[in-house]
Parts: sequence; structure tokens; C-alpha cells
Amino acid sequence: MKQRILNMIWQPETFLIVLIGILLTAMGRLDASFLQWEVQRALSSHVWELAIIAIPMTLIILTAGIDLSVGSVMGLSAITTGMLFQKGLPLPLACSASLLVGIFCGFLNGWFITRMKVHPLIITLATMAAYRGMAEGISHAKPVSGFPDSFTWLGQGDWFGLPVAAWVFAVMVGIVLWMMHGRAFGVGIYAIGHNETATRFSGLRVDRYLVTLYTFSGFASALAAVLFVARRNTAKADAGMGMELGVITAVVIGGVSIFGGRGTLIGACLGVLLIHETREFVSWHWNRDELNLLALGILLILSVVFQKLLRHKQGSAI
Amino acid sequence: MEPLRAVHLSKSYGGTHALKDVSLDIRPGEVHALCGENGAGKSTLIKILSGVLLPNAGTVQWNETPLPLGRVHSVEAHGILAVHQEPVVFPHLNAVDNLFVGREPAALGGAWLDQSTMRKKARAILANLGEELPLTQPVGDMSLAQRQMVSIARALLHQCRILILDEPTASLSARESESLFEKVNTLKQQGVGILYVSHRLEEIFRLADRVTVLRDGTWVATSDIASLNQEALIQHMVGRDITQKPGSGTAPDESKNRPPILEIKNLSREGVFQKISFKIQPGEILGMSGLVGAGRSEIARGIFGIDPFDAGEIIYLGSPLSKGFTIQDTIQAGMAMVPEDRQQQGLVLPLSVETNLLLPSLREFQGPLGLKTKAMRSSGKALIEKLGIKTETPDHPAHSLSGGNQQKIVIGKWVHRLPKLFILDEPTRGVDVGAKHEVHRLIRELAAQGSAVLLISSELPEILSLSHRILVLCEGTIRGELKANEATQEQLLKLALPEEARRSA
Repeated sequence: MKQRILNMIWQPETFLIVLIGILLTAMGRLDASFLQWEVQRALSSHVWELAIIAIPMTLIILTAGIDLSVGSVMGLSAITTGMLFQKGLPLPLACSASLLVGIFCGFLNGWFITRMKVHPLIITLATMAAYRGMAEGISHAKPVSGFPDSFTWLGQGDWFGLPVAAWVFAVMVGIVLWMMHGRAFGVGIYAIGHNETATRFSGLRVDRYLVTLYTFSGFASALAAVLFVARRNTAKADAGMGMELGVITAVVIGGVSIFGGRGTLIGACLGVLLIHETREFVSWHWNRDELNLLALGILLILSVVFQKLLRHKQGSAI
Repeated sequence: MEPLRAVHLSKSYGGTHALKDVSLDIRPGEVHALCGENGAGKSTLIKILSGVLLPNAGTVQWNETPLPLGRVHSVEAHGILAVHQEPVVFPHLNAVDNLFVGREPAALGGAWLDQSTMRKKARAILANLGEELPLTQPVGDMSLAQRQMVSIARALLHQCRILILDEPTASLSARESESLFEKVNTLKQQGVGILYVSHRLEEIFRLADRVTVLRDGTWVATSDIASLNQEALIQHMVGRDITQKPGSGTAPDESKNRPPILEIKNLSREGVFQKISFKIQPGEILGMSGLVGAGRSEIARGIFGIDPFDAGEIIYLGSPLSKGFTIQDTIQAGMAMVPEDRQQQGLVLPLSVETNLLLPSLREFQGPLGLKTKAMRSSGKALIEKLGIKTETPDHPAHSLSGGNQQKIVIGKWVHRLPKLFILDEPTRGVDVGAKHEVHRLIRELAAQGSAVLLISSELPEILSLSHRILVLCEGTIRGELKANEATQEQLLKLALPEEARRSA
């Protein structure tokens, strides 16, 4: 029993919660206005797209993979929505088409990884460039704007007191948590991350898992793109530029091992929260964006070092 | 010259004693075997002697002076060298570079590698071992036996007085082992004292002059090999009497009116195996013997759907498998395989014992709302008990178990599915005597329940005692079929050797 409590304490999630608590307290001391509910709710609109993409990214990194193309898929999907809307297509159709584009982009990644046996880092690095190039080529780097209010509500409006995007995120986290803990699916993901060969030799359909995850990642990126377009009321080819770095940083800060097999979705969500609050506070209080990168780097180093220590501790405790 | 004396060595980790008050001496020019089950403390002892670990108590004396322990470099400087179980080599470098990594002779004050001296020295050492190795080939392209030679040669670079060999034959075939034994005898005649660790008792009786047995971290006995027989040695090791019946007698179903579970017709794969045909009846254990590289594992992988094959037919339970079948298909149809490499292919080491055991059957535990964790727990516990897996709880990670218990998990994860065909590739490699006995019992039980078993093993006594029939492979073809109760080790070995080797023998 004592052992169990000790193990609980030495989880990366616990460490993150404590760290977030300390940081928020410190921020409140420096600038009490930052912690007001209205301020937090308004600032949160910056994070939902990243948070949504972090869900599939967590699963992919758990299988020892990576998806660098998420930002570019966002750009391509955003521009698809914009161009089709400009051509006079009804918005629901334009959005569905952009989701399909995202799904296809993700599927293509998965297909290359499983059928052509290309390392995910290589293929998604390639498609990161290719998808972005396509987005810019199609749009000639011209933004589309002038969306109706009924659409921008998706990105700017509230529903039961929270931004619409927050609800989208919550539903997705709920479903994935259930998949991870209630279904064989979850066990399979961890097994693949630790040892793909042995998992394959146990009869699990590893390729199907991977294609599903990368497709899901494409879908989530497209969904984030739609929310982004609605929030900004513009569809641009450079939507989601640099998104992959933010997402991967958040997931890794959240305790998900880049080598696969270790980490949880909850941890990744805490990672997202941590970097979101840090970023927003730096902009809010000092209004200096260059400090943002510095803070992000320090956070990542701190969190990685701490997790190393934690694992060491756990290793000796068992 | 004085022997190397280890005096009252103890080592504990936390509360558990890995080694308690163990003493032993290694004389120059003797082969001293070290025996014991996994977890008996052999590796701890070796690590202390080779300077990797610092003991909590005790000393190691060499010519009446205590050795500086806990530092590999200073122990090596005294001429005590260890060759560990997995040959430590750098696969992309050639043999010469591998020999000298970390101790390259330098010219021009370290600015230049003295390649010619390196090559000269390497040749001298290999000639001393009576081994011819391609010096410029990357070691990764060599056979396991050759890599082992590189490791041994690396140890001999120093003035070697005491050589520690940890399971040197674990991944070698019978013929490669033979050549290793010759090298061991050569070194022995040159006055090198050898500490030889092995699970294979035949080797110990062939090579050793004396043997020391450890059990649960304590010293049990040291005696001249001449005064012991196998039964006595095993009894020392396990502390109880294990009698192994020689030969498992006749096949359960000689009447042949039952259809075979598996029938292979002219299976071929370019450059790997050719025209392989055989049948396995229900309840039959078919042994596959041969040298490493004879194509045995590749045939097994072909049948299980891991590797493709070019031609031929696999008829399973009366109907041919369709072209391009996959592992999932064969598993669905009730095949199971225990792969050659337990840790890389058989287990997901960081996951729990229970998860590993139930991994192939996960779908069965999928309820509409969630995994049926209670059912999983009871099935997991039942399997752990049935297979005699020694683990504190089903939640312990698989890597915390000993090799023998890990192997029981790899077998156990299929037992739950009641497979009709069981393919076992080297099921007892690196497994201690007690666990080996239990693995053998399990294999016999599976066959008795009507499963067909295809058993691949490089250990001749194992294959002779378990199988009903034995196929001998050589260079990708079936060289002969023997009835196990009529076959001898010599016959198997003779059939397994390639033509030219047989003629010269």
C-alpha cells in the first residue's frame, strides 16, 4: 500500500501538476489579473488547436513514431476550406472536404510508413514540405477571408460557457481515454512502442494500428485547421506554421518518451497546459515574444531532467 | 605460478544477497567450470572477478596480493579478462579495429593510428588461436562463432593469465562449439587459467578439470570433474533430484489414419531452403536438427507467415494456406510460435507478465464497455500457475524475471489459445537446468493434448529426448529423417555436416 502511494507520487503527472501549481501561484503574485477567469478563457482560444493535435501526436509518439507534417496538413486543409468557400461551395461541404483532405494526407503518411517501411521521421519530414508547398501553390499565398458569422462562431463563440473548440477537444480526449483504457487498442499501442517485432509476432495488426493513428493525426490537424480559419476569419497557406514543434514539445514535456511505450494522454494534456500558461503569461506580463522561446526551452530541459530522475527513482523503488 | 583466489566474496543489492561468502580458486592451466541455475550468483561472481562490480566483503588475491576491484582496467592489467555472453563487437568495424578499440597503438604521439602494427598483432593473436578470420570484413557480416572469436582474441591482446568465458556456446552450433573447445584446450596448454560458465553439462564434462557449483548465491561444492557424474552435478545445482528419461519413445499415433495437422510440400525459398517436404501428426513432436544457418528457423518463419517463400505448398488442417498469408492468419487458424530470440521477438519486456501472457488473446477480453480486467486477471493467474512461472505478482514487468521464467511466458502466451500447431525455435537456449526441465515437461504436455509440435534445437540431447521423429537439415535441404529412439548424436551430427566437411572428417 505504502509502495503504491509512493509510486503515485513519483509519477511524471504528479510532478507536472505540482510544477503547474507553483508556476500559476508565482504568476498570480506577479500579476493577479492574469489568473482571472475571463482572461484565462479568452487566452485559452490560442491553445485548442495545438491541444487537439496533441492527442494523436501522443498516441503516435507512444508507438515510437512521430508526425512532423501536422502543421502543413493544417495549412493545406485551411486553404482547402478557404478556396472551396471562395468558389461558392456551402461551408459545411467546404469543411467536410478539408477534413477529407486531412484524412487523406494522414493516410498517405501511414501508407508510406507501413507499406514502404519508411521511417516516420523521414516521410513526415518530406510530406511536411510537400503539403505546405501544395497549400502555397494552390492559394498563390493569397489569404481568403469574409466568412459568415455562423461559421466564425466555431472559432470565436461560446457554448455553455466555454469556447466551442474546448468542447471539441474534451469530446476527443474522452473518446481516446476510453479507447486507451477500456479497449485492447490501448495495450496494443504501448506494446508496439516497446517492441514492435514481438507485438507483430503476437498476432496484433501493427500496420493497421499505425495507419489508423497517422490518419487520425491528419484528421485532427484538419479539424484544427477549420477551427483556426473560423477563429481568425482567414484561410491562409501558412496556417499552422511551426505547429509540429509546439505539439511535440508539449507531448514530451508531458512525460511521453520519444522512444515510445512510456507516458500517458493525461500527462500530455498537462504538458499542453504548462506550455500554454507559460507562453501566455510571458506575452501578457512582459509582452516580449522572444522570451517565449527561452521559457519553452528551459521548461523542456527541466521537465526532461526531472523525468529522468523520476524514472531512476521508480526503477530503484521496484 | 600461484592460482587466482577469490576469498569470502559477498555482494548484496538492497536486501537480497546475490552472493554470500563465496570462495574459489582458479589454477593456471586448468579449466574451472562454474555451474548453477539462473540467479545462483554466477554472473555476480564473474562481474566481481572481472572488475565490473565491487563486492561488499571479501577479496580477490593474485600472487598473494589483493587485486584492486571495481575497476575493469586495473583488473585487465593484471591479466584477468572476461568474454561476456553476448559478444561485444562493433558490427561496422573490421576485426582489426574491433580488437584494438580503446587501446589502439598510436604513432606520432597519438596523431596517427599505427595500422600496420595493429594488423601484425591481430594476425599473431589469431594465429595463436589457430583461427583464420577475414581481417578487413566488417564484423557484422561474420557468423556468430567468428564474432565470438573476435571477442576472445580481444581478451588475449593483453597478456592473458585468467580468461573468463560466460556461456560461450550459447549461440553457437555444434560444429562451431567444437572449434571453440579446441581453442580452449590450446589456451589451457599455454598455462592460461579458464573459468568456464555454461548451462550445458556435456561441455563441462568434456572440458573442465574442476567444477564449482553455486546455488542461491552460496557455494555448494568444488570438486574434480572425475569424481562426479551428471546426476550428482544436477543434484548439486538444483538441490533436488531431477531424473530425465532418455528418449521419449514412440510416436503417440503410429496408425496414420488421423489426418496430419501440417503438411509441407516442396517448400522453397531462393538461396535459403529448397524442396522441403514433411508432415506432422497430431500429438507428434517433430525435431529439426542441423547446424546454425541450415535454414531451420527460416522454414519455421515461412510456415508462420513471417517471411515469404517462393514455391511450394503448406497444407494446414487439410486445406492449403492461401497465397500471401500473414502472421494474423496463421494465429487465427491456431498456430503458435516461440521465436528464436526471446527478448526481441517473444516478449515486450517492460510490460507486465500478465499483459505479455494475454497479448495474443486480447480481443477475447474485449467487452462492450471495457476490457474485462477481472477475467484477464484470473486467466493470467491460471497461466502463471499452470506454467510454474516464478513472479511475485502478475503486474511485475517481464524483464524482472529470469531467462527461464521469461521463456515460460513466451510459451504460455500461446497455451491459452490451445494451439493446434506449436513451432518452437530453440526453446531452452540460455535457460537453466531446472527451468529447462519444466519447459521440456510443457512441450510433452502440449503434444499429449494433441497439438503437433515442430521443435528446432541445436542441442542434440534435447532433440533426441523430446522428439518422436527427427529431420536433419543441411544447407537448406532435408538430409535425412531418423526415428528418435534409434538415432544417436553422432548420426545427427554426421548428417548435419556439409559434404566437403564430411569427406575431410
